[in-house]
Amino acid sequence: MSVIAVYNIKGGVGKTATSVNLSYLSACQGNKTLLCDMDSQGSATYYFRIRPAKKFNTRKLLKGGKHIDRNIRGTDYPGLDLLPADFSYRNIDIALDDLKKSRRRISKILRPLREEYDHIFLDCPPNVTLLSENIFHAADRILVPLIPTTLSHLALGQLLDFLDEIELDRAKVLVFFSMVEKRKKMHGEMMRLLQDEPGVLPCAIPFLADVEKMGIYRQPVAAMLPNSPAAESYRQLWDAICGELEGP
Amino acid sequence: MQELQQDTRYLPEPVEMQPLMDALADAFAVEIEGTRESVATWYDTFDWRLYNRGYLLRHRDRHWHLLDAGTGETLVSCRAGAGKKRVFSWDLPAGRLRSLLEPLLDVRALLPLVTLHSGDTRLRILNRDQKTTVFVEFSRQQVRGTDTLLRTVRLIPVRGYDKPMRAVRAFFDKHEVVEKVPLFYGFEQGLRAMGRAPGDYSSKFAIQLDPDLTARQAAVTIYRLLLETMLVNEEGIIRDLDSEFLHDFRVAIRRTRSGLGQMKKVLPADITATMKEEFAYLGRITGPVRDLDVYLLYERDYRARLPEMLQDGLGTFFADLAGQRKVEQKKLVRALRSPRYRQIVTSWDEYLRSDDPTPSADADVPVIDLARRIIRRRYKRIVKDGRAIGDDSPDEHLHRLRIQGKKLRYSLEFFRSLFPDDEVGVVIRQLKRLQNNLGEFNDLSVQQEMLARSLRGLRPGSRRNMELSAAIGGLLTNLFHEQQRVRKRFARTFARFDSRKNVALFRKLFH
Repeated sequence: MSVIAVYNIKGGVGKTATSVNLSYLSACQGNKTLLCDMDSQGSATYYFRIRPAKKFNTRKLLKGGKHIDRNIRGTDYPGLDLLPADFSYRNIDIALDDLKKSRRRISKILRPLREEYDHIFLDCPPNVTLLSENIFHAADRILVPLIPTTLSHLALGQLLDFLDEIELDRAKVLVFFSMVEKRKKMHGEMMRLLQDEPGVLPCAIPFLADVEKMGIYRQPVAAMLPNSPAAESYRQLWDAICGELEGP
Repeated sequence: MQELQQDTRYLPEPVEMQPLMDALADAFAVEIEGTRESVATWYDTFDWRLYNRGYLLRHRDRHWHLLDAGTGETLVSCRAGAGKKRVFSWDLPAGRLRSLLEPLLDVRALLPLVTLHSGDTRLRILNRDQKTTVFVEFSRQQVRGTDTLLRTVRLIPVRGYDKPMRAVRAFFDKHEVVEKVPLFYGFEQGLRAMGRAPGDYSSKFAIQLDPDLTARQAAVTIYRLLLETMLVNEEGIIRDLDSEFLHDFRVAIRRTRSGLGQMKKVLPADITATMKEEFAYLGRITGPVRDLDVYLLYERDYRARLPEMLQDGLGTFFADLAGQRKVEQKKLVRALRSPRYRQIVTSWDEYLRSDDPTPSADADVPVIDLARRIIRRRYKRIVKDGRAIGDDSPDEHLHRLRIQGKKLRYSLEFFRSLFPDDEVGVVIRQLKRLQNNLGEFNDLSVQQEMLARSLRGLRPGSRRNMELSAAIGGLLTNLFHEQQRVRKRFARTFARFDSRKNVALFRKLFH
């Protein structure tokens, strides 16, 4: 059983596409899998054609237990469930701040779900917030999609520093390259520079129209186009992550 | 949380599938995923070793699936070759499935019980976002070799979409598709269509006798059950599926012979005499293949008994035995297909059904009295003979005692149901221990004789025969030493059987 948070301080780096495809691949292998959409924009929720119940909101999420149970939805794929996001999540930090042990709330909420699921994916909003801090505590692994550019590298440094600051183990972090464009020289150079750093997986998801199109057909690319290069690159990424989860 | 469960319903005869699907598509937004054809074959041993342990084994799409018969959960899945007419544990791919089944199967083969050809059409019930809210699976299963067609519809809910699930259920209720089917409907109905039922055969002899029966009635009941056992094993012997068909067949023959000998005056004397001869003949024609089966099963044991340098010689030895077995098996099949064999079993069957009024001395004795008398006599004999055996008594005496033990065992099993079950259980267990010792001793004698015979038949000269004689020599020595150890244990084993407590129990039950 493991909780995998897909996170980056920057937005638009392919977090949701990653969460959606990896959770789908996990379920395909017979693992009972839950994807929690933590981003108030609800993109993952949208990809699976799910609408949250009208009564579901931040308050219900933070109460946990049956309030969450009731709002989990089955996707179109056996073994894969989703906890939808609600727009009210945009103010989740304020709600968290009012609570006792405000840094451990998400861990507590996930505890009963760890019993039920083999893998839980958290699709996280960008930025460093109290919610992210909660997620870092709750996650066994923080999976960081990284576009191989200088600025992204800087952002990764910021994340690692922040983990040091809140006294969490940097070894939780797994990095892979996202939205890689072969023809861009800088992408290649950046990847060579980073490839031997600890926690960097030897995987790259190319920048592909098939991934972009997920918003149109609203399915994981691995389900819609299982033989596409995009699907294959997600499968390689998932294999690498499984290797890390099993440990040496 | 209360969750909606999936349910599978049986499509009653008048309901046609296509119009029902069309009606479903009119009532809901439906997407048809298409039809998937598959062939599944269920396997078990003839005596239901997997089923008795709560397992079901399915072969589908070149995979084995071991399932929990209670919950339907898949316990192990692994790749397999094409299906076969029989599969031994050593034919399974190495891995969890084999290690799980090996001790259960022992030398028995997995046999195909029922094959189902399925066509499953899956539909999705969609909402306004084109999201799947319920899966509906129409399934048509044809039982191979029969004209049984099973039709079901399975409703699979999606978590969090209870309302559409309820609506789909109501739809099927309205169309009178209401009755739910059990978990392994296809397997169960398929078996029934094939004329079989789970647990319909066991190697164990179990019979329920009414204590009010006369000895004749009881004997006829026993003989009929034994004859049935023989008949159901016939096909497996002829098709040579595994060694246990013949084994069970021969045990039924021995039990019948033992019954005829012990319940001597229950049937008319001429019948008893004729049938004794006929069954002796059946014993003779089935003997050679069984002996060879037993020898062939020793291969692994023999290799373990020899140092590596002597093992090579065994290869040809066992290849030779396998060759002999082929010849003997052919003879056996011919004998079982002969008019003589048919005549024996049909006339015996007819006689057992005939309600023969011809009187005989013990025909009308209450069965319980006969049972006590027989068991008491056998028991006394064993105690007397056993006590007379000392450390220096000839082997012959132990062999005789073994035969006596068998007779007692058979009569205890014939009449077991007439006595308190737990107490007879104790008696049988004690006897079994003695029989194990005597049986081991006898096996070791038989093996040594067989090996010595082979040795005498070898012509010197070739390197191969030299290696083989070395191996046989090694085995003879090893088996001889083991036999001595078994012989030494006899005194203690018998003393335990002859203990005061055990004697008292016998007396209480059978006097």
